[in-house]
Amino acid sequence: MRKRKRRKGDCVSDLRVIAVLLVLFAFLSPVFMLGTMALDVEEVALSAIESAELAVDVAYEAVLEAEGAGANVSGLLVELSDGVEALSKAYISSRIGNFDDAVYFADLCYDLVEGIEAEANELRDVAAVDRNQRFLLTSFGSVLAVVGIFCGGFFGWRFFKSRYHRNALKMKPEVVSNES
Amino acid sequence: MNLEEYKSVFSVTVLGLILVAAFPTVSMVLPFPGGGERFSELWLLGPSHMAEGYPFNVRGGEMQGPIYVGVSNHMGSSEYYMVYVKFRNQTQPLPNATASEPSPLSPLYEFQFFLADGETWETPVSFVVEDVVFEGNSSFVTEISINGHVFPVDVFSSWDSEQNGFYFQLFFELWLYRGDLQVFRFHDRFVGIWLNMTRT
Repeated sequence: MRKRKRRKGDCVSDLRVIAVLLVLFAFLSPVFMLGTMALDVEEVALSAIESAELAVDVAYEAVLEAEGAGANVSGLLVELSDGVEALSKAYISSRIGNFDDAVYFADLCYDLVEGIEAEANELRDVAAVDRNQRFLLTSFGSVLAVVGIFCGGFFGWRFFKSRYHRNALKMKPEVVSNES
Repeated sequence: MNLEEYKSVFSVTVLGLILVAAFPTVSMVLPFPGGGERFSELWLLGPSHMAEGYPFNVRGGEMQGPIYVGVSNHMGSSEYYMVYVKFRNQTQPLPNATASEPSPLSPLYEFQFFLADGETWETPVSFVVEDVVFEGNSSFVTEISINGHVFPVDVFSSWDSEQNGFYFQLFFELWLYRGDLQVFRFHDRFVGIWLNMTRT
């Protein structure tokens, strides 16, 4: 009898423990889930910001190359500025814990700067061709001018020299009176 | 002048003319150093767009500004800039421009932008000290809003008996992107305004 009673009591207490665990699980699981989700959103935000940063890096490098080749990059700089404005909003949102906005702005930055590298490369190539053509024309002009100046100088000097000698031959000796 | 002297003058003139004619081509091949010092400007203007009328006596919840922060690029090429907005009390460290060290305080707000050589950037900044608590000889600022974004700050200031006020500073640091290192570096420039927190 005693044994049976104890078993019954054990069952009841087991059921209570299970019920308490179920209630605890029901209450705590959303907390854990929310915590995990928040962590996920933060990770997503950081990853989106990293991708946007990388896209800005690549685009800026391409723009600098285009600028170095002599291209007019003012339009690209405006596009880049729009992109990094969104990136700074992503940083700010992330700083105040608003990770959804951070993801939105980081993605916006990525979209805004994504095509800039190709545009910059195109401008760089066009600028390089222009520069080569300009160099050829300038070199040709310089060579022509140098040859012209050299020939002009040579013949000019010969003309001047012959005129100088002719004038010298026409000169009459000056008579100086001897007073002593 | 005799013929030899004429010859010298003639030779020097022809040589000079040849150099002038060859200069455009030579300048395309040899890089000539750009003249002048390379630097950036950072400034802060008051609400009337002049260097006056900056917000000073500030009450909690009251909108201040806009003040205008501006940057000008004289670096000889396009640059990538960032301006950090920070908030401190009288004892917290400022940047050390001579040692190229930024303030170790965390930035609240930031601006990023690109500028071509010779270009200028300027933007309005409005702020509200959202939450100020006065306790005895101390004033605590726990929240500040900049351009509509609210930031927790937790900065306190003790009563300054010499200047008669609770002083805080809102300051702006200029950072420049180093493409070779792929990081922003403090660009040795900062500007700021002092704020006296008042009860009424």
